[in-house]
Amino acid sequence: MIIAPLGCSSVKEESDANKPHYVMVFDQNKCTGCGECKDACNVANNLPDGKSRMVMEQLSGGVAGEICPHCGKTECNCERKYVRVSCQQCKNAPCVTVCPTGAAHRDEKTGIVTMDASKCAGCKYCIGACPYDARYINKETDVADNCDFCLHSKLAIGELPACVQQCRYDALIFGDANDSTSYVSKLLRVKDSVRIKPGFGTEPSLRYIPVVKIGV
Amino acid sequence: MDGTIDFSMGLSEGVAWPWPIAVYLFFAGISGGALTCAMVIRFYKNQTENTPFYKAAAVISFVTISLGMLCLVLDLTNPLFFWRILVFYNFNSVMSIGVLALSVYIPLTAVISLLALEDEIRSVPVLKILVPIIEKLKAVRKPAEVIVLILALSVCAYTGFLISALIRFPIINTSVLPALFIASGLSAGAAAAKMAAVSIFKGDLHSSDMKLLHGAEWPIMFAEIMFLFMIATSLLTGNAGAQSAFAAFHSGVWANVFWLGVVGVGFVGPILLNFATSKSFSHSAKAFYVSGLCSVSGMMCLRLFILYAGQHFAI
Repeated sequence: MIIAPLGCSSVKEESDANKPHYVMVFDQNKCTGCGECKDACNVANNLPDGKSRMVMEQLSGGVAGEICPHCGKTECNCERKYVRVSCQQCKNAPCVTVCPTGAAHRDEKTGIVTMDASKCAGCKYCIGACPYDARYINKETDVADNCDFCLHSKLAIGELPACVQQCRYDALIFGDANDSTSYVSKLLRVKDSVRIKPGFGTEPSLRYIPVVKIGV
Repeated sequence: MDGTIDFSMGLSEGVAWPWPIAVYLFFAGISGGALTCAMVIRFYKNQTENTPFYKAAAVISFVTISLGMLCLVLDLTNPLFFWRILVFYNFNSVMSIGVLALSVYIPLTAVISLLALEDEIRSVPVLKILVPIIEKLKAVRKPAEVIVLILALSVCAYTGFLISALIRFPIINTSVLPALFIASGLSAGAAAAKMAAVSIFKGDLHSSDMKLLHGAEWPIMFAEIMFLFMIATSLLTGNAGAQSAFAAFHSGVWANVFWLGVVGVGFVGPILLNFATSKSFSHSAKAFYVSGLCSVSGMMCLRLFILYAGQHFAI
């Protein structure tokens, strides 16, 4: 009788199952690193010049005159590999927990971690707390900002996130993982995907399909 | 799938919490530490008069926490947004709980200061208008002192809990941090209040209050050293992220701040001044002030080290 209520508390609320769980899949095999996703993000979300809510990090492969981040040589045969760096949309989000004003919050309807700019005091607690360093201060509004899958700019008008629309190589896939008929659900069922730094226990909603092939 | 995919770039620029936050942690520690010492002595010795140390601790606690708040506000991206922290609350957030504690603590330090400085206020004609307020406050003096003691310790611990919630940084994300910050707050707070008691409130350098504090100084310093040792060993024996963060203790500019500032000035300084010098010097006013300043500067270095080295070594 004493232990029973404790057992119950760890059971997920049933209402969660009826809610959507929006996920984004980044397919490293398809990404060429063109960077058009960044430009689309900047335009869609009215961000300051040159700023976007996501960046691309080059993990390997030579660019003329630059050192390959993987092997350290200026000339190499490493395959060019990129990775998307953006808010991981954690189910257990440290930024939401630490935010003193509730400005960094989870949208009630979609479950997406987003910002209420009118509540943010600019204390930067969320920026230090994010295990992925995926949050930043928007220099024009002076408040913290994160990738919220274009919740207010694109999803609100029934469109896909700007970066997903822009990507010409289908490297970004977005959808509801709780809807078993969605494309993203079907994709995740057949493809091996990984999450970044799962050891933090943040349960990110961004999935990565990494390049695992090393040679022929 | 070891290291299948990861990234090292971030979207933020520089450290999220720069030096004003270290200064805030410093002031909050001094404030809470000084007031805790004063209240413990008052209750332990059943004092009813306003001793020089009590007066000094009260004033210091109010002044330092106010300066700390100033640092905090100025570090916001837009200081005019400050009211939002006071209006909106999230009780899962350590900071929000701290705001609540501070919004009771700060007015109480002002109340304690008024009560402590009663004689001084009575002697200045312009401040006579405060006398009726002081008379009214006397009725709640005892409960106010008990609550302020609890809150003073909470504020010291809070500064530790506040930053230990940052899970990306192995040096900062440790459970010992609140305890370390209480210990260092007590030693530096006591040192600051002792110096003010003797210099401003004409206290006796060898009064019984001072003797009591002097006796408590060394066990507190030992606790501080032990907590730091615990942090260092847990990093050394920890996972890959913790092991790489251990470098903070032996390389880079923050290792110098640690060994010269925290250990050299903060620990070795007072120990040498008190135990390695002649009795006539170690009991002199000069040794008293230098040792106190060492203690306070060591604490500032500790806060800078924890905050900067901590944020520098991210997982």
